[in-house]
Amino acid sequence: MDFLDFFHMRSREAQHALEQARVRLYRVAYAWCHNAALADDLVQETLAKALRKSAQLRDPKARDAWLFTILANCYRDHFRKTREMDDIDEIEISHETTPESESSRTEIVGLVRATIARLPQAQRQVVTLVDLEGFSYVEVSQILEVPIGTVMSRLCRARNAMKAMLLPAMQQNPDMHRVIRRIK
Amino acid sequence: MSQDKRFSDEFLNAFVDNQIAAEEKSQAFIEIGQDEALNRQVCELRKLHDLVQLAYREPPAPPARATSDPTSRHARLRFGVAASVLLTLGIVLGSQIRMPAPSVTAVPAAATQKVANIAPPAKSEAKADIANHVATLQSVAAIPAAATAAAAPVVARNKIPDNTTSKVLIHLARDDADQLSQALDEIEGLLKHYRETRHGARVEVVVNGKGLELVRSDTSVFAGRIQRLQREYDNLTFAACQNTIDRLAREQKIIVRLLPGVITIDSGMAEIMRRQNQGWTYLQV
Repeated sequence: MDFLDFFHMRSREAQHALEQARVRLYRVAYAWCHNAALADDLVQETLAKALRKSAQLRDPKARDAWLFTILANCYRDHFRKTREMDDIDEIEISHETTPESESSRTEIVGLVRATIARLPQAQRQVVTLVDLEGFSYVEVSQILEVPIGTVMSRLCRARNAMKAMLLPAMQQNPDMHRVIRRIK
Repeated sequence: MSQDKRFSDEFLNAFVDNQIAAEEKSQAFIEIGQDEALNRQVCELRKLHDLVQLAYREPPAPPARATSDPTSRHARLRFGVAASVLLTLGIVLGSQIRMPAPSVTAVPAAATQKVANIAPPAKSEAKADIANHVATLQSVAAIPAAATAAAAPVVARNKIPDNTTSKVLIHLARDDADQLSQALDEIEGLLKHYRETRHGARVEVVVNGKGLELVRSDTSVFAGRIQRLQREYDNLTFAACQNTIDRLAREQKIIVRLLPGVITIDSGMAEIMRRQNQGWTYLQV
């Protein structure tokens, strides 16, 4: 299906597909910035650009990766405009003072979100694209325009950091992982 | 390739994310399975993967936009219709409740006599009638609350008074017939033990991922056994992950039909977290 059809088709399937794409883009955008309004703006901008550039999409099967590439570019542009002097790959845009962590520190969802928010920007993007969207390492390298080795090392560092931050926090709250046993 | 390099952190991540060739993966499976430390690392990585998915399953809704989004228009229309129906119901039922009141208070004597001549309702009947109306109204008033509580089954189940002493959650996420058979043996043994020792217990079996096949009416090879267990032990619950059911419908166009008596929960992972927070013992098979 041509991408233009994706927008122009009136069928229920096309509307459903568009809504699904929006939901997925929003989830990932929110995981990157932890700001609902900004995430929504980024998704709007992504879909508007996708519509304008729909002729560029040669292979419909690559539509998902293509959409997320546009999202990554919109996200990068946003921070270029607002923080020109910082290295986009290293900044931490969120800290432990996020609303989630303040209000639901003891809850697992808030804890994991706060942990991801504390990861450096580049690591956060890789880990969310792999874990939330299930993209392959090759696809992530194309979306973020970095070598595949960089994807692997960022993912590795992100997960090590998450392990280091999450496990002590979970140990402080024993209710979070009570008796865990494995039977085989 | 040396052992150290082969099982570097990057390799283990790629193993968990299914990013290595099938042949290499099967070999790694054997070697990792034999090494407890590596096995633990792999488990931790899988747990992290699940936690990330859980954390963003329901991100906060974006702020409302001032656009003519057709979906929001429909939502508003639906909300308006529902509100109108509820309002009308409220007015009709409310007026019916108020109707008996004049017959016992300030009604002209002639009118009272006329009403009495027609069919004076017994006082007790009128009371019962009002009680019924009040109950109806209360149930009507409860409708919006019930409608807004999307996770009602889970919440309701969590509020059940719990006088039992042991609570065990068993998590099944694989479709290996031998393992599932073994798991059912373990479950039956556990339930039998609790019954013989007269020990109060609740056992909940949570199935997600490939484990869902155990409770699907079209794929389960243990359907008879599961139904027998459910008949014999009323403290046993089988709970299927709605996320998995939705994913099968979305990705493989499979409409899942569950065995009788199997309940659905919003998310297997969320249920496990909830139960652990409530002090349940977690066993993974």
